[in-house]
Amino acid sequence: MILHYLFRRLFLLAFVFVALTVFAFSLSYLFPGDVLSNFTGLRNISPADEVMLTRQLGLDQNYLQQYLLFVQRLLQGDWALSFSSQQNVLTEMLLVMPATLELAAYALFLSLLVGIPLGIVAAVRKDKWLDKLISSLALIGFSVPIFWWALLLIMVFSLSLGWLPTSGRLGVLYEIPTVTGFMLPDILLSEQSYRQQAFIDAIRHMLLPSVVLATYPTTVMIRFTRDSMLDVLEQNYIKTARAKGLTRLQVLYTHGLRNALLPVTRQVGLQFSTLITLAMITEVIFSWPGIGRWLIDSIYQRNFPAIQGGVLLVSSLVILVNMLTEIMHTLFNPLARKF
Amino acid sequence: MKKLRLYYEEHNKGPLKLLWKHFAPQHFAFFGLVLLIILLSLAVLTPFLTPHDPYLQNSQLLLVPPSWQDSGLVSYPLGTDDLGRDLMSRLMLGASYTFGLAILAVLGSLLVGLVLGALSGMSKGVKSSIFNHLLDLALTIPSLLLAIVIVAVLGPGLLNTIWAIMLALLPQFIHGVRNAIAQQLKQDYVTAYRLDGANQRQLLFSVILPNTWEQLVLMGTMALSTAVLDIAALGFLGIGAQSPTAEWGAMIADSLDSIYLAPWTVALPGLLIFVTVLAVNLVGDGLRVAMKKRREN
Repeated sequence: MILHYLFRRLFLLAFVFVALTVFAFSLSYLFPGDVLSNFTGLRNISPADEVMLTRQLGLDQNYLQQYLLFVQRLLQGDWALSFSSQQNVLTEMLLVMPATLELAAYALFLSLLVGIPLGIVAAVRKDKWLDKLISSLALIGFSVPIFWWALLLIMVFSLSLGWLPTSGRLGVLYEIPTVTGFMLPDILLSEQSYRQQAFIDAIRHMLLPSVVLATYPTTVMIRFTRDSMLDVLEQNYIKTARAKGLTRLQVLYTHGLRNALLPVTRQVGLQFSTLITLAMITEVIFSWPGIGRWLIDSIYQRNFPAIQGGVLLVSSLVILVNMLTEIMHTLFNPLARKF
Repeated sequence: MKKLRLYYEEHNKGPLKLLWKHFAPQHFAFFGLVLLIILLSLAVLTPFLTPHDPYLQNSQLLLVPPSWQDSGLVSYPLGTDDLGRDLMSRLMLGASYTFGLAILAVLGSLLVGLVLGALSGMSKGVKSSIFNHLLDLALTIPSLLLAIVIVAVLGPGLLNTIWAIMLALLPQFIHGVRNAIAQQLKQDYVTAYRLDGANQRQLLFSVILPNTWEQLVLMGTMALSTAVLDIAALGFLGIGAQSPTAEWGAMIADSLDSIYLAPWTVALPGLLIFVTVLAVNLVGDGLRVAMKKRREN
C-alpha cells in the first residue's frame, strides 16, 4: 500500500516537473527581446552563429522538438548564460544558493525553537493573561511588514547602538576558503589562526537577518501550535487520561504533545515557500549574497536567462521540499493516510 | 450524539445578526473594524481630503520635521520628505494605492476564484483531478517569484504587480472555494434539495453559495493582508510602484537615503502598512472566533 502511495506521489512529482519546465520554456518566448538570446544568453549573435545556433537549438523545428531539446540541455547542466556575466546560470546559482539555504535554515530553526514552546504555553494557559500576551505578540509579528521591521532593527541595533553589522555575511578582514558554501561549517573547517574571531564575526552578521526572517514563521508556528494543541486537548482521550489519574504534565507530555505536534511537522514544509519569499526581501536589505538578491538584481538588469533559471531552480526546490515533508508526514501520521 | 436544537424565542435572529452579536463584544476586533472603515473611506475620498498636492515639490521646505517637534510647521502636520512634498497628503494618497488596490486585487481574484472553484468543485473525474494537480503546483510557487516573472514579462509598474498579485492569490481562492463546496455537498439539506429535484445549477446558486459566503469573506480578509504586504514589498524592492507614486512601500524605498536625517519619512509609511495589516488581521481573527461561537451555540 505504501509503495502504491509513493508511486502515485512520484508520478505527481514528474507531472509537476513537466508542467514547470513547460512554463520555463515558454518564458523564453514571453520575455521581451530576441528568442535566440533568451535561450542561449548570448548578447550579440553574428548572422553566421545565428544560423548555427538556430539549428542546434532546433528553433527551426516545431515547439515540441524545441521543448525536448530544452529539457535535454537542462538535464545536461548546459543552462543558458547570464546576460551580465556570460557565465552558466546554473553554476552561478549553485554558488549563491548555500547562502540563502543557510539563512533560511537558521531562521527556521529559530522559529521552531521559539514558536512551538510559546504555542504550547499559550494553549495550556488558554484565555489567561499569558495566552493573551503571546497571542497578541504573535498577531503583531504576523502583521508587521518585514522590510520595515528590518529597517527598524537596523536603526536600533546597528545605527544607534552600533552592536551589530548591517550587511554581508562576514567582515572583510577575514578570508575563509569556500568548501561547502555554508559559512559556519566553512569557518570550522578552515585552518586559519583567526578561526574563532571569524566565527564570532559571522554569527554577529547572521543575527539580525535571521531574527528578521524568523519573525513571520515564528508567529505562524505559535498560532498553528496553539490551535493544534487546543484541538487535541478537547479530545476524549485527554479526558480519559485525566480520569485515569495522570497529572496534567503527564497528560500533556504523553498524550497532548505527540498528537499536537504531528500536524506541526507538516507546517514546517509548507513554511518553506514563505521562507524563500521573505528571504529574498531580507537578502536585499542586508546585502546577503544569496539567490534572492541575485534574482532581484537580475530583474533590474533585465537578465532574462537568469530569471528563467532562478524561477526553475527555486520552484523545483520548493516543490521538492513540500513533497518530501508531505510524504514524511503521511508515513509518520496514520490519520493522514488515505490509502 | 446529535444535539436537539430548540428555539424558545418568538423571533429568531438571522445568521448575520447572530454573527454580529458574537463579533461586537470582541474589543480588538471591533477596533480593527473601525480602523478598516476609516482606511476604506480614506482610500475612496482621498482626492478631496488631501491638504496639499501630494506631488507638489517645494524646495523651500525640505525635510520639515513633524509638527510636534520644535522646528515643525502646523500646516505640514507630519512634515515633508526630501523633495519638500507634504508627507501627510502622500500618506493619505498611499491608502488608495496600497490598501485600495489591494482590495480591488482581492475582489477580482475572489471573483475568478469563485467561478473556477465552483466549476471544479461541482465536477468530478479526470478533468478535475488534472486541474487539482496544476493547482497544487501553483500553490507552492512563492508569490514573489511569480510577481518577478510577471514583472519581467510585462515590465515594472504598479498595475502589472496588481495582475501578479491577483494571479498569485488565485490558487488559494480556488482551493478554498472547492473545499467549501465539497463540505457543503455532504450536508443533509443539500441531499434534501437534490431529492426535491434541484439540478446542479439551482443547487449551487440557491443552497451552496449562500451558505459559503462567510467562509469567502474570511478567505478574503486573509488574502487582503497578504495583498497589502505584497504590494508594499514589491514597491519597496522597486519592481512595483515606481518612484514618484505615493505608494507606501515605494515611499519607504525613496526615503532610505535620508533615514539618518529624517527617520519619520521611513517610520510613518511603515507604521501605516503595519496598522492596516493589523486591522485586517484583527477583523479576520474576530470573524473566525464569532463564526466558531455561533456554531457552538
